[in-house]
Amino acid sequence: MTAALFASVCLIAACGLIYELVAGALASYLLGDSVTQFSTVIGTYLFAMGVGSWLSRYIVRGVVARFVAIELLVGVVGGSSSLLLFLAFAYTDAFRPVLYALVLVIGTLVGLEIPLLMRILRERFSFKDVVANVLTFDYIGALGASLLFPLVLVPRLGLVRSAMAFGLLNVLVGLWSTHLFRDLLPRRRHLQAGGVAALLLLGAGLWQGQRLTTLAEEGLYADPVILARDTRYQRLVLTSWKDDLRLYLNGHLQFASRDEYRYHEALVHPGLAAARARGRVLVLGGGDGLAVREILRYPDVREVTLVDLDGEMTGLFATHARLTALNGGALRDPRVRVVNADAFTWLDANPGTYDFAVIDFPDPSNYHVGKLYTAPFYRLVRRHLAPDGFLVVQATSPLFARQSFWSIVATLEAAGLTTAPYHAYVPSFGEWGFVLAGPVPYVPPRTLPTGLRYLTAATIPPLFDFPADQARVPALPNRLADQVLVRYYEREFAAINR
Amino acid sequence: MSEAPEPPGGARTDGAPAPDALSRRGFVLATAGGAAAALGIPALLRLTRKGAPPVAGGFVEDDSAAGHALRDGRWQPRGTREEQRVAVAIVGGGLGGLSAGWRLDALGVRDWCLLELAAAPGGNARSGANDTGRFPWGAHYLPLPGPEATHVRALLRDLAVIDGDGRYDERMLCHAPQERLWQHGQFHEGVEPLDALPAAERAQFTRLAEAVEQFRDSGAFTVPSAVGLARLHSGAVPARAAAAVRALDTVTAREWLVAQGLTAPALHWWVEYGLRDDYGCALAQGSAWAAVHYAASRPAADEGPLTWPEGNDWIASRLAARAGERLVTNAPVLRLERDGSGWRVHTPQRTVRCQAVVWAAPLFVLPRALEGASPPVAHDYAPWVVATLLLRRPPQERGFPAAWDSVIYGSPSLGYVDAGHQALGTRPDRRSWSWYHAVVGQSGREGRQWLRTQRWEDWRDRIVADLARAHPDIGACVERIDVKVWGHAMARPLPGVLPRAAALRDWQPAPGVFVGHADASGFSLLEEAQWHGVQAAEGAARRVG
Repeated sequence: MTAALFASVCLIAACGLIYELVAGALASYLLGDSVTQFSTVIGTYLFAMGVGSWLSRYIVRGVVARFVAIELLVGVVGGSSSLLLFLAFAYTDAFRPVLYALVLVIGTLVGLEIPLLMRILRERFSFKDVVANVLTFDYIGALGASLLFPLVLVPRLGLVRSAMAFGLLNVLVGLWSTHLFRDLLPRRRHLQAGGVAALLLLGAGLWQGQRLTTLAEEGLYADPVILARDTRYQRLVLTSWKDDLRLYLNGHLQFASRDEYRYHEALVHPGLAAARARGRVLVLGGGDGLAVREILRYPDVREVTLVDLDGEMTGLFATHARLTALNGGALRDPRVRVVNADAFTWLDANPGTYDFAVIDFPDPSNYHVGKLYTAPFYRLVRRHLAPDGFLVVQATSPLFARQSFWSIVATLEAAGLTTAPYHAYVPSFGEWGFVLAGPVPYVPPRTLPTGLRYLTAATIPPLFDFPADQARVPALPNRLADQVLVRYYEREFAAINR
Repeated sequence: MSEAPEPPGGARTDGAPAPDALSRRGFVLATAGGAAAALGIPALLRLTRKGAPPVAGGFVEDDSAAGHALRDGRWQPRGTREEQRVAVAIVGGGLGGLSAGWRLDALGVRDWCLLELAAAPGGNARSGANDTGRFPWGAHYLPLPGPEATHVRALLRDLAVIDGDGRYDERMLCHAPQERLWQHGQFHEGVEPLDALPAAERAQFTRLAEAVEQFRDSGAFTVPSAVGLARLHSGAVPARAAAAVRALDTVTAREWLVAQGLTAPALHWWVEYGLRDDYGCALAQGSAWAAVHYAASRPAADEGPLTWPEGNDWIASRLAARAGERLVTNAPVLRLERDGSGWRVHTPQRTVRCQAVVWAAPLFVLPRALEGASPPVAHDYAPWVVATLLLRRPPQERGFPAAWDSVIYGSPSLGYVDAGHQALGTRPDRRSWSWYHAVVGQSGREGRQWLRTQRWEDWRDRIVADLARAHPDIGACVERIDVKVWGHAMARPLPGVLPRAAALRDWQPAPGVFVGHADASGFSLLEEAQWHGVQAAEGAARRVG
């Protein structure tokens, strides 16, 4: 009995310290300035414990039952604190108020524990032993927790599941207490039922912790999220801050409305304005309709076929008011046909010849997308082009992923095309690269459609000059059997993210 | 809550105050109690997990029933039978027989028929289909043929796998990523178990590679083996090198490695993997010649192999389509009978009268059909088990991303191949995996006896346990497991490959009967089957005139 009691003191202390550390660490991660965060979190927490100790005097009857209830409560609140904080950061503007409110609540509850426990024990042991032993075990538990936290818990379990695990432990202590003090708890069924419910809740949280973390962390975008959706193929998140609308696919920024005109004008016009014919245009990828918006500026474009895998994405960009305002309702234009299919298999299965093709896929960050950057794919696109037709490829950054960019150029050359690589500056992306490729050398256009905000006919030729730090480097073409591009890209972005 | 054992110190229930509440014993017990409570948590959590859903499946209908009926004389010619006259009758519709037909056509002999025991042609290259597409039941890839495999290259040109400029169709070359190995808790690129290997053991891999390089340069291992062995016999290989090659063939792979001082367990695993994969042999079974042959038989290629969703049935089915109605399935050959200078080939449904026979079925079947025929050697045939797993979704995994071929270090299986790997478009969650297992370490006869004791449930549990090492949730992902047992999958290259091949080289069962099967080489590779099919076709064509 005695040993069990003091073991629970040890565990209670460990749990209390863990909640405090979780709150401090999370605030440091998310807000930076760890000295301020830890200092204010610890101060608030200790103050709240004082509040709890002071409040303990008002608990007069049913001390044991209240003690158990507090254990269960602190287990649930403390256990879910980390998840709540993540979600608060991701989906609300009130992270700080939520943080300090949670710290106050947990601190107050933890502050109630020790005085109540000492009062329970005082009736059994001499007061001097109670004070000595309770405080000894309190501090031992704190030492254990402070060592476990950085060395084992954070690296192994992560913040969300660490808090859950200790919440679970707290609830177990509560349930254990209903057994230890059973002679003092005549009606303990409802406490035990509550304990089991808390246990199930936290257990489920711990079991699904990885998923909850991902859910919460995916919300960590810089701006408020106005739409988040898991489609069959990707996670699509739209954020908005003042006038700037941003689209993220699987956490990667696709465009920022503030400067996407630079990207899409640069993608479409150098090639399309120079094309001999523009009757039929093919767009592969680009389900946001922004490239289509640029294509529809030409009155002689009769037909645009957009092939994008994700029907939910094209549906959203055809209907959502803020998005159709951005793409000018391009996806509902009568000249536009939207096909939801995989580009490779669709091109393989369908005939049709186009005067110009825009290839706007996500960066080649894995072997699946990488197939769409191979010579067989470009040869396939070429078979769907008119004899004098050109294609243009978004080709990642020639500055941040220099060898990747030039590998795409080499791949287009391996497919038997003559290339014209160029680049443009897009503030939210940085320096960005594109490659025009066709059967003959490229000649820049003399005129551009009206209404452009970035390009002029005179500023197009300089885009084809590369400064020394983006100049061509040796790079192998990307092949289905050996996707060097994915390896280049992985290496180059690992170097940047370091 | 009773899961958390109460420490003995807490067993006191009288509530009497303990005078010295903190004895040392009490402290230790308290700590132990806390630890026990912590350990109880996972046990509690496990209760909330659901069991894996049941797995459907069974053994796949195969040709062994027809084969055994043939062996036991239970097939009898029926009363009214068609009689058919052709120039050449081909017995067996694997790659050897199909290649023989292909070669006869090229030689202008179009008057032939091909008799296949099973319901579908293809032999070891047969395939199946489910709602995810086609998948292999056996041979599923072809390493890029060397320059001397001229017939294979001609076949590939004919099938437009190689274009006019001599380039391979990139869609048919195995896409990246190709191979990965599960070791030390995650997948690594490639199948060589080099991760976290001590330098001394790593050096053994280099030494073996150098030895193999020398053997390759000797030219004696070139496939088809008729080319390499002709070099060896004609003295084109320098005497010392030739002696080394012959010495290899007198010992098992294991004996040879140990004699070379190559003893690293990881190296032995890796060499045995190759032996099991290509030849159905354990390290202590296969000839050292075969172990070297695995790596030395073709030029070192930095790309390839060629592969298709249905495996080598892509080739077989194209040849079968060209055969058209000349290909007859469900046609077990009961007897070959002399017919003047030609032959009568009896099946239950028909009698085929012909001038020449290409025997493209395994050699052990020949004496049953042709009285007096006795092959100069008797091969040991390795049994294989191939399973097709239909997955609801890809399982969890760690490390290098999903590849064509995934191998698990230390596993008795050969791992699995993802049938949809060559898909160009976005992959749906449903997949077919082909799980391969060569039954090694005992004679073929013993292996087949053991196989007869194994129920489908045994294979299901074995396969799930095998894959669970790399994919802990595989049980929740598998919808079906269909198991195909190949009793006589391939002749084993046990020590003595060279004398056996020499004995078979000029052996002809009877005038006008030509052997067009990989058994004539003594090991089962597409290049060998095709070579003998082509040679037999040429012999038959000469006889037909």
